[in-house]
Amino acid sequence: MTTTADDRSAQLAEAGLDGQNKTALGRVLGTGSIGYAEERPDGTMTATVRIPEDELCWEPGTLILPHGGDLELTLINDDKNTHCAVLPNNGDPKIIWLVNHAKGTASINLDGPGTYYYGSTTGNDEGRGLTGAIVIGGEVPDHAKLDRPPQPRP
Amino acid sequence: MTDYVDAGAAVPMTQLSAVKGSAPATGNVDYERIRAAATEPQNWLTYYGTYDGQRYSSLDQITKDNVHRLTPAWVFQAGATGMQSGASTYSFEASPIVVEGVMYVSGPDGKCWALDAKTGEELWRYKHASPYDVSLCCGNVNRGVAVGHGKVYMATLNAHVVALDATTGQKVWDITAGDVRAGESRTVAPLLVKDMVIVGSSGGEFGSRGCLDAFDAETGERRWRRYMVPKPGEPGSETWPDDGEAWQRGGANCWVTPTYDPELELLYQGTGNPAPDFDGGVRPGDNLFTDSVVAVDVNTGEIRWHYQFTPHDLWDYDSTMENLLFDAPDGRKLMAHADKNGYFFVLDRTNGELVRVFPFVDRITWGEISPEGKVTPKVYPDEEGVPVHFWPGPAGGKEWTHMSYNPTTGLIYIPVQEVGATATRRRREFKESIPYWGAGVAVDLEDFYGFVSAVDPLTGEEKWRWRNEYPMCASNITTAGGLVFQGTPTGQFVALDAATGEKLWEFQCGSGHHSSPTVYSVDGRQYIAVPTGWGGWIEGFLPGLLGAAAGDALFVFALPQD
Repeated sequence: MTTTADDRSAQLAEAGLDGQNKTALGRVLGTGSIGYAEERPDGTMTATVRIPEDELCWEPGTLILPHGGDLELTLINDDKNTHCAVLPNNGDPKIIWLVNHAKGTASINLDGPGTYYYGSTTGNDEGRGLTGAIVIGGEVPDHAKLDRPPQPRP
Repeated sequence: MTDYVDAGAAVPMTQLSAVKGSAPATGNVDYERIRAAATEPQNWLTYYGTYDGQRYSSLDQITKDNVHRLTPAWVFQAGATGMQSGASTYSFEASPIVVEGVMYVSGPDGKCWALDAKTGEELWRYKHASPYDVSLCCGNVNRGVAVGHGKVYMATLNAHVVALDATTGQKVWDITAGDVRAGESRTVAPLLVKDMVIVGSSGGEFGSRGCLDAFDAETGERRWRRYMVPKPGEPGSETWPDDGEAWQRGGANCWVTPTYDPELELLYQGTGNPAPDFDGGVRPGDNLFTDSVVAVDVNTGEIRWHYQFTPHDLWDYDSTMENLLFDAPDGRKLMAHADKNGYFFVLDRTNGELVRVFPFVDRITWGEISPEGKVTPKVYPDEEGVPVHFWPGPAGGKEWTHMSYNPTTGLIYIPVQEVGATATRRRREFKESIPYWGAGVAVDLEDFYGFVSAVDPLTGEEKWRWRNEYPMCASNITTAGGLVFQGTPTGQFVALDAATGEKLWEFQCGSGHHSSPTVYSVDGRQYIAVPTGWGGWIEGFLPGLLGAAAGDALFVFALPQD
């Protein structure tokens, strides 16, 4: 193996794993770009994800939030087919139907830290690549930490 | 290109379902009512049914004579959408709560439901979003909810505790109780005592420092926290290395609901294994208060007494499972505990004095406990890289799943697992959120069996046993109808004669049992509810059935109405 982190995108392209019906039938999960949510003064976060034409993926594929809380997400379907999104949300997941060339919003609340996945739950969109990640960084509040000295992490 | 079609705003999934959205208001469930739960057997008000953990129902409509007619009244399917943590290890482990015809039950992946206990109709639903990447030693599980003060209390995989409005399922408060970056989670069913919600920690396989919390039931504010591994200088710290860091990662988590004596105002909390599980070389000493029952003053969180079942544990013998409270004929206040280590203990619950100890499994090779309580380890992982086989395996002669006590027969019915294991010590550094076992472990794929053992706790005599090809990995329950109900790993739900152990009825639920059934009645009709779904830590308690069908259905049985 000669893989390095720097050339992963090129390797995915070369191997035909970053699109539809190349080497694999669909797009390998976990590929795609990385994006960051923006934060308003009140702590609410905003971001936009879109579905490019014939890619069956979310762009960015991984959305990073600085902390848990409220996220106002704009979802755009630039594809020429109909999809949807089922999004994690404290209380009840949320769903939005995205016909061809549609744009909508979702207000969701998530705890941090941790990783959540969302997807288009029609047909097998999820398996073809329409599964995105929302990654929340940060630490839990001090009151929730164990009473012990700082410990080593991986 | 034209403007985008307006897709609007995303809506809650429940909006696109037949879920009603509200449950009828019930009478208030408060401390006094839970204390007297045995007087209203139509309801199952708290995790064990009553504070004493007896798991006994005085309902007697279903009897030895008519149980053969028992049939499903309704079935509830939990289901799942999208990716979830522990995607292959989810299990429906809960013990349903019932109040005046409304059932409150939690499932895997942060789900909680209010159901019509008579029809199974879904009244409301709550789902706490669980990160996909939380550290979970033993699967995507939750053991149940507490109900009271107009709320439903639930612990979550990402170590939150939430209070929901009992009539709508809407969140009232939400507190971060633990640190997911430190490998902590919460899987326990909360216990409501007075105006507090008692919730213990999970995370023993990741070297967390186990603790028990009491939260204000109205606000979520933490009243007290009791760590189960002392700091240097605190009582019990002499059982840990003086100059080491071992106590900081010492384990002793509290992942099973305690029992409670309202007269003594003591919680009886079982504690988990020390960490690392199998490598005692980094933690010389008895390692208090791991593998113990700890009597905790419910008002202050102070430890009144403790009894350690497996000092300096090297076999992953958590003692988190229940401490069942009962009184001797002479009035002595006792508690019974069937430990992972294969021994059954009877203690005086006022002071922790050992009354009796005896084995309740057939094969014990790890060591021996004398009738006086002296513990002698015999076989354990000691040398690096050398495999050691022992019985019981790390899931124990009995895991967290609960036994029951029938005051009519005077017997305790123990779900027994006869499964061994091999551990090979492999020392490793501690790093937060990474499993911290100190060994490679393989649980036996053959030479296993199980049984329900009916034991007289006053003498230690086994009165009968109902043997099964596979170990017993689910709680049982006993009733005034003279019955014991027990789920099996292969899906059968069976009714046994509480006096003789004779099997009187069975129903195949389609997936294995790893939960706690409850009994209740509505409009005079008696029901028995049992969540099913084979999952959790199967590789620990019965890897011989790792290939069995999963599931997450709640079955409710009753006698035919005509």
